[in-house]
Amino acid sequence: MTNSNILLRVEHLCKEFPVDSGFIAKRRGTARSVHAVNDVSFDIAEGETFGLVGESGCGKSTTGRCIMRLIEPTSGKVLFKGNDVASMNKKELKDMRREMQFVFQDPYASLNPRMTIGEIVSEPLVIHNVMPKKDERIEFVRGLLDVVGLNPEHINRYPHEFSGGQRQRVGIARAFALRPKLIICDEPVSALDVSIQAQVLNLLSDLQQEYGTAYLFIAHDLSVVQHISDRVAVMYLGNMMEYSDWRSLYAEPCHPYTQSLLSAVPIPDPDIQHSRKRIILRGDPPSPIDPPSGCPFHTRCPIAQAKCSQERPELREISKGHFCACHYAEPNPIKKSSVEL
Amino acid sequence: MFGLGLKKKNRIDLRDTPVPEGHHLLEVNDLKMYFHTQDGVVKAVNGVSYTLDRGETLGVVGESGSGKSVTSLTIMGLIPMPPGKVEGGDVLYRGKSLLDMSEDELESIRGNDIAMIFQDPMTSLNPVYTIGRQLSEGMRLHKGMSKKDAMARSVELLKMVGIPNAEQRVKEYPHEFSGGMRQRVMIAMALACDPDILIADEPTTALDVTIQAQIIELMQELQQKNGNAIIMITHDLGVVADIADKIMVMYAGQPVEFGTRDEIFYNPIHPYTWGLNRSIPEPAIDEKHPLTPIKGNPPSLVDLPEGCAFAPRCPYATERCRKEMPKVYTTKTGHYSKCHYSADEAFVRANAPETSRTKAQRIVELKGDM
Ligand SMILES: Nc1ncnc2c1ncn2[C@@H]1O[C@H](COP(=O)(O)OP(=O)(O)OP(=O)(O)O)[C@@H](O)[C@H]1O
Ligand SMILES: Nc1ncnc2c1ncn2[C@@H]1O[C@H](COP(=O)(O)OP(=O)(O)OP(=O)(O)O)[C@@H](O)[C@H]1O
Ligand code: SF4
Ligand SMILES: [Mg+2]
Ligand SMILES: [Mg+2]
Repeated sequence: MTNSNILLRVEHLCKEFPVDSGFIAKRRGTARSVHAVNDVSFDIAEGETFGLVGESGCGKSTTGRCIMRLIEPTSGKVLFKGNDVASMNKKELKDMRREMQFVFQDPYASLNPRMTIGEIVSEPLVIHNVMPKKDERIEFVRGLLDVVGLNPEHINRYPHEFSGGQRQRVGIARAFALRPKLIICDEPVSALDVSIQAQVLNLLSDLQQEYGTAYLFIAHDLSVVQHISDRVAVMYLGNMMEYSDWRSLYAEPCHPYTQSLLSAVPIPDPDIQHSRKRIILRGDPPSPIDPPSGCPFHTRCPIAQAKCSQERPELREISKGHFCACHYAEPNPIKKSSVEL
Repeated sequence: MFGLGLKKKNRIDLRDTPVPEGHHLLEVNDLKMYFHTQDGVVKAVNGVSYTLDRGETLGVVGESGSGKSVTSLTIMGLIPMPPGKVEGGDVLYRGKSLLDMSEDELESIRGNDIAMIFQDPMTSLNPVYTIGRQLSEGMRLHKGMSKKDAMARSVELLKMVGIPNAEQRVKEYPHEFSGGMRQRVMIAMALACDPDILIADEPTTALDVTIQAQIIELMQELQQKNGNAIIMITHDLGVVADIADKIMVMYAGQPVEFGTRDEIFYNPIHPYTWGLNRSIPEPAIDEKHPLTPIKGNPPSLVDLPEGCAFAPRCPYATERCRKEMPKVYTTKTGHYSKCHYSADEAFVRANAPETSRTKAQRIVELKGDM
């Protein structure tokens, strides 16, 4: 990947949320915080789909929200087309948001129930004053509805008249209204049935082909992420543990956490599911308020050594373009470390 | 659910009565449960049939709203009536009809012979009682255990489901437990009286895959030890592939296909099962295959299509499908399907998705030709 087509670059992003921010805690100096995102760096090229996976609460959504500056990062940098998002003024931020859109997880909560779907989809056009003529706008929105597989005749209906999958299409039509360069998709299919999920995944792929949009695709379902992504990053407790192109990440996971995640996903094929090796992790993920010292995964890691609880492993390049943050990671050690069941 | 009134009942322990000749542990025959609402009659469960024996696991899969939970809640006698009404069919447990039982009799069965893990762990634990007290309740009620014995058994159960420091944790409240631990408490609670049948309604949906793997492993271990039957309701075909012996695929309140795990995965004969199969992203190694979604949306249960409920979305639907409700076609092995064309071998061969088994076969044949 050449430097020139890098669309988004995230450098050492950190986000902490204060907890017990009460006066007394502050006075005592015991105010604690949730380390939601901890020193995360990656980049996304134009037209690329970058998948972000990890278990609940590992900081995926927070990463996405910091990138759009919906919340302020604690430290670190976000560069969109080479420009620092943190130092943008109101006007620049507005311009950036024209090119960077968001699709949310919950198709029920994310659409304003009092607006018709026509109003919802055309809202970005109005905010950015792109298509001042109403007739023209309506025609455009009808076209968009058609593209995402909704009936243009339904332009005056309200969200509650649609199913979950249809609402997610409305959210996608809205995100595409301004032909953005990047769409942050935060669990766009998690709330949908498999048969509907497949419709929406195909739609996202088709639209990407047509418009060359890049996606930051956030999800916890590893097979969905594998299906849609060019590169995939795995997060754990706010940290980036491993990232690579999808082939080498899924075929040769290096990080023991990625290995156990992949081996824990049940495969819908009984022959394969019953014959494969599995690593079953013990215990629960630790609290992000009081994250473990050293490697955040060492409390559950099947191959942890003394060093792991003392020293935080840096992301290092294991093979070309394949990065992994583990002291003992090696290409494809799964065969050695897996537990026979 | 939340009451802690410990009335002594004249307990009947059906678990100790042998399954009568010609019967199964659990038999559901053409069960129908409709809800009478303002918007009309919701045909939530519209003719469900299956059998289950000890040691077996039944997987129930299907679209959201297809009646998976309502079917199990009907068996447990937990559907409020009205608005619910049983419109037909029967449920036999060890040869005895559960639908004919009095509320008293049902109560001694629930949690004792048949226990359920509910879809939402937070709403099924009472926030104001300690975990230990909630675990003890069922054992005192059903087994007449003393407070002390029940508490000791609670500690044992928590240890069994992998909760560290159990002596301490029985004294804590639900909010002090993580989501994964709460789900394990729910499992411990369901297992407290060694049930004959454990119904698990999406027990791992809210959990992360690494925790899901722990919980499934635990349920399998306990089943091996106790020989109980499991009904596992899930939308995850991977989970079903992992643990089910038999699978029921539901669509719009009906089982559209039922068979052994191998039959459903390697020889499915219903177009909806095919559609589900083609919708899941397969774990690819070097090349990704496009998904083939099922077009359209599930029908309203108030206003079901006249013919086959799947016809509006089925790529093979004919005029006949739209007019005439398909009959159940059953094979010699008990594998059944509700589609006009399931009996047509040529149709099935031409349209069923490729599986890892048919693929291996095809490759062998290809090599043979060369
Ligand atoms: N506004 C907030 N205030 C305090 N803590 C927060 C806030 N937002 C997120 N967190 C915490 O930050 C951590 C990361 O949350 P985040 O929502 O980014 O996780 P996620 O990976 O998106 O999880 P999920 O898969 O459940 O959506 C969590 O521990 C969460 O509780
Ligand atoms: N008390 C009720 N009154 C009216 N309709 C109801 C009631 N309870 C359930 N239903 C309807 O019955 C149908 C079946 O619901 P059920 O909960 O069994 O679906 P499910 O297959 O378990 O779905 P999910 O996968 O979303 O849990 C749904 O359409 C639901 O809206
Ligand atoms: S009966 Fe017809 S519409 Fe229904 S599943 Fe079979 S082919 Fe499709
Ligand atoms: Mg999130
Ligand atoms: Mg349900």
